[in-house]
Order: sequence, then C-alpha cells, then structure tokens
Amino acid sequence: MESAFDTRHHYDDELDDIRAALVELGSMVAANIRRAGVVVTEGRLNEVDAVIGADRPINARYHDLEEKVFTILALQQPVASDLRFLVAATRILYEMERSGDLAVNIVKQVRRLDGVPTDLRLDGLVLRLSDASARMFDHAVEAVATMNAAIGIGAEQEDEETDTVTGDLFTAVTERQDAIGLEACVALFYIGRFFERIADHGVNIAQHITFAVTGEFPDGDG
Amino acid sequence: MADRIGTTVDSVDHTRPETLEDASPSLAATRSPRVTGGTPSDEHAVILELSDVNAYYGDFHAVDSVSLPIREKEVTAFIGPSGCGKSTVIRSINRMNDLIPTARIEGAITYHGVDLYAPGVDPVEVRRRIGMVFQKPNPFPKSIYDNVAFGPKISKYSGDMDELVERSLTRAALWDEVKDKLSDSAYALSGGQQQRLCIARAIATSPDVLLMDEPASALDPIATLRIEELMYELKQEYTIVIVTHNMQQAARVSDRTAFFSVDVKEGQRTGRLVEFADTATIFTNPQHDETEDYITGRFG
Repeated sequence: MESAFDTRHHYDDELDDIRAALVELGSMVAANIRRAGVVVTEGRLNEVDAVIGADRPINARYHDLEEKVFTILALQQPVASDLRFLVAATRILYEMERSGDLAVNIVKQVRRLDGVPTDLRLDGLVLRLSDASARMFDHAVEAVATMNAAIGIGAEQEDEETDTVTGDLFTAVTERQDAIGLEACVALFYIGRFFERIADHGVNIAQHITFAVTGEFPDGDG
Repeated sequence: MADRIGTTVDSVDHTRPETLEDASPSLAATRSPRVTGGTPSDEHAVILELSDVNAYYGDFHAVDSVSLPIREKEVTAFIGPSGCGKSTVIRSINRMNDLIPTARIEGAITYHGVDLYAPGVDPVEVRRRIGMVFQKPNPFPKSIYDNVAFGPKISKYSGDMDELVERSLTRAALWDEVKDKLSDSAYALSGGQQQRLCIARAIATSPDVLLMDEPASALDPIATLRIEELMYELKQEYTIVIVTHNMQQAARVSDRTAFFSVDVKEGQRTGRLVEFADTATIFTNPQHDETEDYITGRFG
C-alpha cells in the first residue's frame, strides 16, 4: 500500500476536482451553445431569456473555479505538469466563460431577425455553422476530460469547416442585403462571427490541454 | 519540576469548567466525522484560546500580548522569522515552558474553557491531552513497539496494548512499514520513519491536540511531504498546531496561519503576533505590509 513516493493524495484530489469541474463547466457551456443554435435557426423568441438565464450559473461557476485555482497556485507551489495544468486551467476557464457569453450574444440577435421571411433567413447555413461550432467545443471539452494532447494538435485543421461555413454565410448575407434589410444583415453577421469565435475558443481550449500534457503549445497562430 | 507559574487572569468566569475532566468528559462526543478539505470553517469549535499571552524568560520579554483562537480539527500554523516567539508560544500551550525555571507566562490559555495555568491543573495531564512532536525525531532507545506503548503503560492503560500500538502506528502511516519488525530498535528507522514513530507515540495516549515544532525541518523533501500528508489525515481527528520556518509548508498544510514578527528595542527582541487569518487569505491577500513582505521574501 505504501511506497516511499506515495505522497500528496490531498493535493492530487484537488487537481482531479479542478479537472472534473472544468469538464462540468464546459458541458454546461456546450449545452447552451447548442440551445442558442436551435433558438436562432427556429426563431424561438420565447426561449431567448432561458439561454440568457442559463449563463448565470456558468458565470458563478467560473468565478468559483478561478478562485480555487488561484488558491491552489498560492498554497501548493505547483511545479512541472501540475503547474502547466493549473496555468492551462485558468486560460481554459476564460475561454469557456467567453464562449458562454457568446451564446448569450447570439440569442440576443434573434429579435432582429423576427420580420425576415423564413426562406431568406439562411437557416441552413446558420444551422451548419452552429453545429460545426458546437462540435468543436464538444471536442475541446473531451480533450479536458481525457487530457488528450492530440485533439489540440489537430484542432486548427478541424476548425477549418467553421471558417469555411462562416465565409459562406457572410457571402450569402451580402447577396441578400436588399431583401432582408440592414438590421437583419448585421444580426446574421454577428451570429456568424459569434459562432466562429466559439469554435476558436474550442480550439484554444484543446491547445491549452496539449500544453498542459506535453509542455509545448501546438504550432499555428492559435 | 513543573511548578505552577504565574498567571494574571483579571476575572474568573465561574461558569467555566474548573478541571480538564469537567471540560471534556467525553472527547469522543465532541468529534464529528465531518471532513472539511482545505478551507477552514467557522463551524469548528474553538478548542484553545490564547488571550493576551505574554512570555518572559527572567526579565526578558520574549512574547508580547498574543491573542488567538485555535479551532478543533484544523491545522493552525505559526510562521515568522527567528526570535519571533512562535516556538515559545507553542510550548506554552502544553506547559513545556514550565520546565525552564526562568520562564513565566502571563495572560490566559484556555482549553475547552479551562485555564491551563489555573491552580489544580496537572501539567502532566495537560501534556497527555496536548501532545508534542519536536524538530528532531527523538525516539526512546527502545523497540518500535515499546516506543508507542511507553506512554500508555505509564498512564496504566488497561486495554489491549497490541491493538493500541497497531492503531497508533496505522494512524501515523507507519504500520505497513514496521509491522514485521516491531521489536527492532527505533534507531534502525530512517529519519522520516522515526518522526512518524514519534507522532504514533504522541497519539498513543489519546490526545486531542498535537503540537508540532518544526516537525519536518530535519527531513528530506519526500519524508517532509509524507509528514504533511499525514497531517492532513490526522486533522480529521486531532487539532494540530505547527511551528514552521518553511512558509510553503504552512501554505500547503494549514487551514489558518499566524504570522509573528519581532521588535528589537534596546537590544531586546520581543515577538508579537502581526496577523492571524485563514491560510488562503494570508498567502493571497494579507492585510498587513509586514506579512506581505515576509511571505514574498522581502523581509526576514
């Protein structure tokens, strides 16, 4: 049962708790991102407030976890892989919290689309974009859950789909600007931009895990 | 000879228990199984209260007016530069300073509400309930078994001694390493093992407070971490007060930290308590500049 190096169980438990809590927070954010996608593409105005409301516990959890990580940094003097993980955790927390805010920003655009005819709302593209963005984010949460360095290494390539669909959406919006009006154009630009940013945060999260595991940040402009 | 030493408690609260037996007839009843993790909770009862404690060695004023509560089932750390009085204060808690003829304590130290320096309080009983582990492992020149059984034998323990020895060594995280060589000399153990043996010896007499004066400063880093991990386990059942020169150790193991400093006046060095707070506050946002300067390595 005992070995000469069998030490610091309590500290190990604290680190495990942080990782588990990051996964839980990431799952909460991912659920709200998917819901935001449905609210936008199906024009569910009555669910806008629910998405906004669901961001509050995300923010509370974010602050709580940030304080826990800060305290561990101060009290446990982490080094090597522990230090990398905790520094990565503070960055991941920020990326997750921002992604949650972006989901809120997305649903806030829905009201601006209210008068736009269904066939001109570009729902197909928005749906593809929200799916690609949510998948990227899910994959990032999986990287945290499994401490899988490979996901971060391939993340930028994986994210190319989001960038492509975002480009397609912007082109389509520009072509329809006379038909749908300026306000709807702006809303769709924002929606495209926010989903794309969420996917970028997903890429960053996976890359932070790569750094935590390997000590090297993946190549690319991250 | 442990004579009673001077106390200056201005008023005596007669509702307070007068003897240690009155104070905690059943220590077991006060022990809850709740585990708290690293964050201290104000729900933990105050087990020891230092009120305006001043310590003197002859005319020398070693410690000036220290007041702080110590809560049960927590680790309280005393940190500070050399000469700040932290060892004097921890030794005053179980009346170890009685053994120094010129030492004198003023103020009050209460344990479960009983003034430990009141007349009629037996210092031997104080030390049974408030055990101590020292900087250098100091096992007796006896077998491992006899080291642990020594205290219980003296206090005429009537239960199953083998069981008590095993339980004490298990709690001190040493049992698995020594169970096949209990009759070997304690001196055959490594330094870290000897220190855990001293902890086993201290808890064999069923104390509820353990005082540790630099318990790991003579040990290598791995043995040190084992002692620290052990402290984390022990605080589920015992109240621990630790003096340490190693600030990082205080940060790692303690729930609350007291920072002591020293004033030099006319060649006299007098220790005083600067700040006492939960450990996370001391190490992330101390309220006094002196604390900040000390823990960031800019003073001391």
